[in-house]
Amino acid sequence: MGLKPATNPDVEAATIELSIDGKTVTAKDGVSLYDVISSTGKIIPAMCYHYTFDPFGSCGMCLVMQEGKKAPVRSCTAKAAAGMIIRTEGDDLFQARKKAVEKHLSVHPLDCPVCDADGHCELQDMAFHHGVTNLPNAKQKFIPEDTRSPVLDFNMNRCIACAECINVCKDVLMIDALQFMKKGGFNQVVPKGDVALDCEFCGDCLAVCPVGAITNKFSKYLYKPWQMKKTTTTCNYCGDGCQLYVETKDTEVVRVTSPLSWKNKWGDRAETSKGHGGICVRGRFGFEYIDGRTRLTQPLVRKDGQLAATSWLETMHHVVDRFAAVKQQYGAGAIAGLITARCTNEELYLFQKLMRSVFGSNAVDSSARYGHLNFVHASRHAVGIGRTPNDWEDFTKAKAVLLIGSNITETNPLTAVRVKEAIRVYKAQVVTLDSAVTNMAKLASHPFLIKPGTEGLVIDGLVKATLAQDLVDEEAVKKHPKAFEALKAAVAGVSLEQLAAQTGLAVGSFKEIAAIFAEAPRSIILCAEGIVRRADGYQNVLKLIDLAWITGKLGKPGCGVNTLTEEPNEQGAVDMGVAPEFLPGQARFDDAAARERFAKAWDAPLPAAGTSAHLMDILTRCRNGQIKALYVIGENPLATLPVSLNVKAALEQLELLVVQDPFLTDTGRLAHVVLPACTYAEKDGTFTNLEGRVLRVRQAMDPIGESLPDWHIMTSLANGMGANWEYQSANDIQAEIMKLLPGYYNLGQPRKVTPAPDQYLSNGYSAEVGARYRAAQANRDGRRPLALVMGQVLMHSGKMSTEASGLITIAPNTGKLRMNAKDMETLGLQEGTKVRLSSDQGSLEIGVQADLSVAPGACFFPEHFNEPPVKDLMAVAVDTTTGVPSFKQTWVSIEKV
Amino acid sequence: MSVGALTKKILQAALFYEIWDAMKVTFRHMFHRPITFQYPREQRAIPDTHRGALGLLRYDDGRERCVGCDLCEAACPSHCIKVISEEDKERPLQRYASEFYIDVTKCVFCGYCVEACPVNALAMTKMYEYSTHDKRTLLFDKKRLYDIGERHLDDAKKYLYAHNQEQNVEASREYRYYFPQSVQKSTQPPPKHLS
Repeated sequence: MGLKPATNPDVEAATIELSIDGKTVTAKDGVSLYDVISSTGKIIPAMCYHYTFDPFGSCGMCLVMQEGKKAPVRSCTAKAAAGMIIRTEGDDLFQARKKAVEKHLSVHPLDCPVCDADGHCELQDMAFHHGVTNLPNAKQKFIPEDTRSPVLDFNMNRCIACAECINVCKDVLMIDALQFMKKGGFNQVVPKGDVALDCEFCGDCLAVCPVGAITNKFSKYLYKPWQMKKTTTTCNYCGDGCQLYVETKDTEVVRVTSPLSWKNKWGDRAETSKGHGGICVRGRFGFEYIDGRTRLTQPLVRKDGQLAATSWLETMHHVVDRFAAVKQQYGAGAIAGLITARCTNEELYLFQKLMRSVFGSNAVDSSARYGHLNFVHASRHAVGIGRTPNDWEDFTKAKAVLLIGSNITETNPLTAVRVKEAIRVYKAQVVTLDSAVTNMAKLASHPFLIKPGTEGLVIDGLVKATLAQDLVDEEAVKKHPKAFEALKAAVAGVSLEQLAAQTGLAVGSFKEIAAIFAEAPRSIILCAEGIVRRADGYQNVLKLIDLAWITGKLGKPGCGVNTLTEEPNEQGAVDMGVAPEFLPGQARFDDAAARERFAKAWDAPLPAAGTSAHLMDILTRCRNGQIKALYVIGENPLATLPVSLNVKAALEQLELLVVQDPFLTDTGRLAHVVLPACTYAEKDGTFTNLEGRVLRVRQAMDPIGESLPDWHIMTSLANGMGANWEYQSANDIQAEIMKLLPGYYNLGQPRKVTPAPDQYLSNGYSAEVGARYRAAQANRDGRRPLALVMGQVLMHSGKMSTEASGLITIAPNTGKLRMNAKDMETLGLQEGTKVRLSSDQGSLEIGVQADLSVAPGACFFPEHFNEPPVKDLMAVAVDTTTGVPSFKQTWVSIEKV
Repeated sequence: MSVGALTKKILQAALFYEIWDAMKVTFRHMFHRPITFQYPREQRAIPDTHRGALGLLRYDDGRERCVGCDLCEAACPSHCIKVISEEDKERPLQRYASEFYIDVTKCVFCGYCVEACPVNALAMTKMYEYSTHDKRTLLFDKKRLYDIGERHLDDAKKYLYAHNQEQNVEASREYRYYFPQSVQKSTQPPPKHLS
């Protein structure tokens, strides 16, 4: 519905009756007349209408006759009222609509043949439907094209001033980057302030533009809609799991479009709580790596120290021989495997099956180890569920959202849109706690800036403030008085004043946040990289669960502690058992019943539980020579982990390093064999997104060069090693997973999970909680005053997006350290000044640049780039419980050189 | 059989009547203008509306007419046309066909592509002699099509006139597209025929 939903979880709107074309229709009070008409199945043309935002009423097409009025009324801006008698058809209305089309066409250039919207243009359709063949007073605008932005071109000759772009940007995405401006006698859409467009570049304005006024620079003039094959698939940049259309021509990807488009403008506004169909800059403009020139097209085998192109058959023989030799000589424990969570569920499943049943090794890990496993372990430990309990709808309809340590608009832009909708439509109170000035903080009702690295202390303070103000939910704590007493005793030593000094958050703020969270009927906690990817991530998630428990939010509908995943299938990697501690379905690896079940299904004994090794163990064992062969799929530990871990030395020790990747990565350059793999656009499968929805990935084009899907390579490797795998397609693997994990393929409708904390609270809790709220950290020494944070930026995701030339055009590696302008002033630095950046791990020279989003006392460098190698300044702390390495934050000093 | 009829039959047999009767046609044609056309020594005059090989045309100033709109490909019933368009590197914001292929072995010479062309860049010529030993040479690329258009420019124009698609040279200018300039560049005045 175009107007804000009249019914929300708190208010039920009254029902009214009105008559449309002689039929009595019931509707909710307060909705737009247009929505009532379209809900009966009648389609009235409307060019400026889209259900995701409020009606604007500029196109003059949605005319209907209302009894008692002489002239036709615009149905989109008219509210439905009881007793209205409406006529939607008739020659007079047709003529009136035709006049509106003629009005638009009279100032529209007839350059359809060269327009990118040709064949996908609402004005064209309308002119055709209304039979407009003659224009008495045509006039041209001669407006120069605005090509200043790196992504979008604005050809305002074609604009029909429907304002869909402005409305979607302002109302749905809350970015507000576009405006109308009277220029040259015409009302034109210009970027705010008539400068070069500089926004989040989600491209939703491009998607809703019903004509060709906004065009995509990366595929300008390259296509006509009828030339392209359109494939619905799932984005592989972040854990949001957005659906998108990959449009291909032969072997090139021409453009990516979203389900959000002017073409599907009819819908129920309440449905946008499950997603409005838009995609972000990475999804829409980051497609160029798929058919990029840097793609690997042939297997490479090291010969005389050089990687040389070799045929598949020869390469696979070589790989099989080498693996077999290592296994025979050193035993199964000398083989290890790492896989990226950008692979599909089927491939992740096959990978752990290959490692466990064919190689016989349990040294297997995925990139979920970099953070997501902190959340999974904590959540399983405390409430027994290994994923987020809430979905997008819960986020949207929450009354209070506590965003802690999450730059959500940068890491998961579409989940951020859900929070934005919670703010805008459902009037939620949003609390942001971060050490950076995030975009969400600018929209939130309660934005708080905390000192870097104090997220854990803030949670201590919130728990303390909740207890101090007696915001405790009696019913929840009554069941577990012992646990509650233990918690009270643990928090007794915490002093809010001391925490206030350490975190930079006032005592009053602690109390205010605790009150907002405890008093709202539906409260959501979202913790992301600032919690799970930092030291003590496991403990901090447990503390957040404590907070939810004592305020009675655990297990209540629409409440819960959630996380965000950075890679598309981190949840799937955990569910498929690509971790030494898990078998598929998150069964414990040492669970005898599960072991027996999988051993029987795979017809092979499982490796002993003692041989398990996670990422950090694998690297240690590589270094000390226990592991001799490493099979790496899509991972790049050399470019990801700091130099202090000595990854290079570890990899050089190996007798066999096989890297399987679409690109020649840093790790690949060290490898003995490099196998060319496909990207997501060239294979079938599924991703599990952060809500637990299993989403289809469909093949959009043939593999580039000789590259092959990962499951295909793994199957032939396994068969070479003597297994008898008969997978002909990803579907065969899916069928096997379906048998082993019934109900996992949930068709995008994950089962609701309810947290079950009772077991934990009545047993192990009291013993553990004492250590959780430790006395505040010792003061740091003053030599390193600044916090260096490495994190994600909106335009990039991991290292993969740096291969997408479009995203590099938008956000190139500046090679500069981003600092707060005030800090730069006190240090006497100008834009671009070279400084020496030193941490305990080393130092390097780097230029600086001012960045408004960096808080005072901190500096930031995007984790996607290693030039200069800022990551090497990081120290690594490994969580003792979960084995998660954290290396995204350290303390540094800066001197001018 | 009567005596008269028998006599006639014998007489006809003696005088080889059937042969003379049959040769009558032959002799009559000896004094007739020959009907057989001595192709290829002789060439027939072809009407302007003749649908021969397709060619691409340029404007008088040498610029390519084709804007790469792909409407010919959409109109083609035998799917023999392939257009690949892009932005002109030298003249930004202008669309042109970077590649253009017509598979003449598939072409059914219906002329729909010419009708569909909004800038009259395609035209049919009177050229029909391009048989070859190698079928692959019948995939006409952009260069070949422009060569045909150049060599048979007069025929191509006559075709367009005859099909009532283009009146004369002056009128053909109106088909030219006015591409907007970038705001980053100085604004050029709009073309005369549009202002």
